[in-house]
Amino acid sequence: MGFWQIFSDLSWAISGLMAAWMIYDTWHVQQQYDESFLMSSREGAEELTQKEAGK
Amino acid sequence: MSEQVIEVPKQHQIALKKVLSPIHIWGLGVGIVLVGEYMGWNFSVAKGGALGSLIACWVIGLLYTCVAMIDSEVTSTVAAAGGQYTQAKHIIGPLMAFNVALYLVLAYTMLEAADATVFGDLLQEVAGNFGVANLDPKPFVFLCIIFLAWLNYRGVFVTLTFNFVITAFAFIAIILVFFGVSPWSPGVVLHHADLIHGLPYGWIGIIAAFQFGMWYYLGIEGTCQAAEECRSAARSIPLGTMSGMITLVIAASLTWYICSGLLPWEYLGQATTPLYDAARVTNSTWMQVIMFVATVFSNLASANGCINDASRAWFSLSRDRYMPPVFGAVHPHYRTPYRSILFLIPIAVSFAFTNLLDQIITFSILSGLLGYTFMSINMVRFRRLWPLGSIHRGYIHPFHPLPAVMLFLLCVTVYFATYLGYGGQLLSIMAFFIVASLWFSFHRYQYVKRGDQFTMPWPRPKGY
Amino acid sequence: MAKAHFVPKIQSKLGQFVDCILILVLVYVSLYAPLFMQGKDNGNSSNSSQKVTWQSLNQNTYEAGQWKKLGYTPQQAQPIIQTRFEYSISWPVLGLTALVIIGYYVFMLKISDKEYREVIREKFGDRP
Repeated sequence: MGFWQIFSDLSWAISGLMAAWMIYDTWHVQQQYDESFLMSSREGAEELTQKEAGK
Repeated sequence: MSEQVIEVPKQHQIALKKVLSPIHIWGLGVGIVLVGEYMGWNFSVAKGGALGSLIACWVIGLLYTCVAMIDSEVTSTVAAAGGQYTQAKHIIGPLMAFNVALYLVLAYTMLEAADATVFGDLLQEVAGNFGVANLDPKPFVFLCIIFLAWLNYRGVFVTLTFNFVITAFAFIAIILVFFGVSPWSPGVVLHHADLIHGLPYGWIGIIAAFQFGMWYYLGIEGTCQAAEECRSAARSIPLGTMSGMITLVIAASLTWYICSGLLPWEYLGQATTPLYDAARVTNSTWMQVIMFVATVFSNLASANGCINDASRAWFSLSRDRYMPPVFGAVHPHYRTPYRSILFLIPIAVSFAFTNLLDQIITFSILSGLLGYTFMSINMVRFRRLWPLGSIHRGYIHPFHPLPAVMLFLLCVTVYFATYLGYGGQLLSIMAFFIVASLWFSFHRYQYVKRGDQFTMPWPRPKGY
Repeated sequence: MAKAHFVPKIQSKLGQFVDCILILVLVYVSLYAPLFMQGKDNGNSSNSSQKVTWQSLNQNTYEAGQWKKLGYTPQQAQPIIQTRFEYSISWPVLGLTALVIIGYYVFMLKISDKEYREVIREKFGDRP
């Protein structure tokens, strides 16, 4: 059972680390940036907007 | 009608990164679907026999060709993350858009959970072959979801380049095995004559097979979720989607040919990994190895694409306040919808750990089917509200309204097929969407801005 | 005179959280509901106590060989081979299902159209 047990434990550990990193990064971004900036994306592709406007 | 120009505010500061090309779109679309060739399609064999499954493969292929044509036209015009959700919002109306977004988020998150579950089961089987019985697959399921979410979190370019590579491997693997079983010499490796016994259930079996026939192609429409991240959406989406569809028709036909010529139809109808099993009975080591690796890759590619698509749909929904606006944020460095990606992780994990694989797959298929029904109505309205020439279209599909009508009729047939196999689930899922619609109309819509939902630079729709 | 633009309510953080959870709960209810309803029509298999051979299971020589390669004995293969689906149509249930799907779409399209007109009016102004 040795190898597979280690593999299982490693899977838990790596997943835990990755999840923790994502949560930390989300928190970190929130501290660094203004909420209105993070939420400022607008729908649509500019390329089409430009075509529509005839450039 | 002449082309009109509508002023679009350009004061936004952050946006999803525009880095994708047609190969990424191909990798996304085919990546989500190709797992269906490695597992799932074969349940249609149980429903209608091997021949019934082949007929389902081609008829449902026709359904998806209509989907790809319609989607390519609308998406090359409505190029935004959210894909069909954004289309519905601009062409039919908010409640339809909310429903479409739910179809997308649920279909993809559930498919992701199913993929991760199978990934765990495959590793459990490998451990079993090494003499370790009943190894708990949960850590592998968890690792699969978290690793792919982490990849998605850190940027769309690497995520979909990774998807392109593993999907291309899985596709080439099918072609290699096809040549490996000497299709030019019937009766040597492949024995169709000994294995195919007509239609065990007659015509109704063919119809019943349609439901799982969808598995050959389910998810190809996900390509348009990436529209806002393409360098040129008007070029990449039609090219990636149509070439993806051609790839899938080829892969589906080859898969059917290989499996039905090697495995008894009764076994094939219930096999978990039919292509891998087909390789096993050839006694060829290289084919077994390549099929095992490709099965794992196809699973990962599908789950990866699903995370990408579900998060874009959830992100778009939140950006319009259909769901809490907090999920409408973009990461300032990676330029991904990072909060949506993060939020959907525990949901996918919870689906994967429920052991309701059957229910989850049926929910996923039905959500897709409801979405295709929407597309047929959407296409007819799109041409009516903005006739050709009134707005710029990146691609115009031929023979309108034939594909829309055909798609609608095929959807009705698949509803009937679903009734035959999963009538109870069908009603239960419809009840969910009805309750969710009532909740949206009478509660959630009060938080949504009205005019701001219409973001496309189009003229006023005809008749409104 | 043009109507005033709709000003949406601002939702509290708690309200946003409750809305997310509510949708999730609904999804789980619809996943589990069929399990509590009538059993799934997953096909029936018949078992007999007679001695089972590949011939009695109507498998030809080639098929029997493939089953063996897959690691099956006739006894193990029997439930798989003899499982059969029953495609019986209950017209009242089929009618009810059709009614639910059609009703859902009609309701959704009607409400959507009403909401859509409001969106267009705000975006483009009153109809010319």
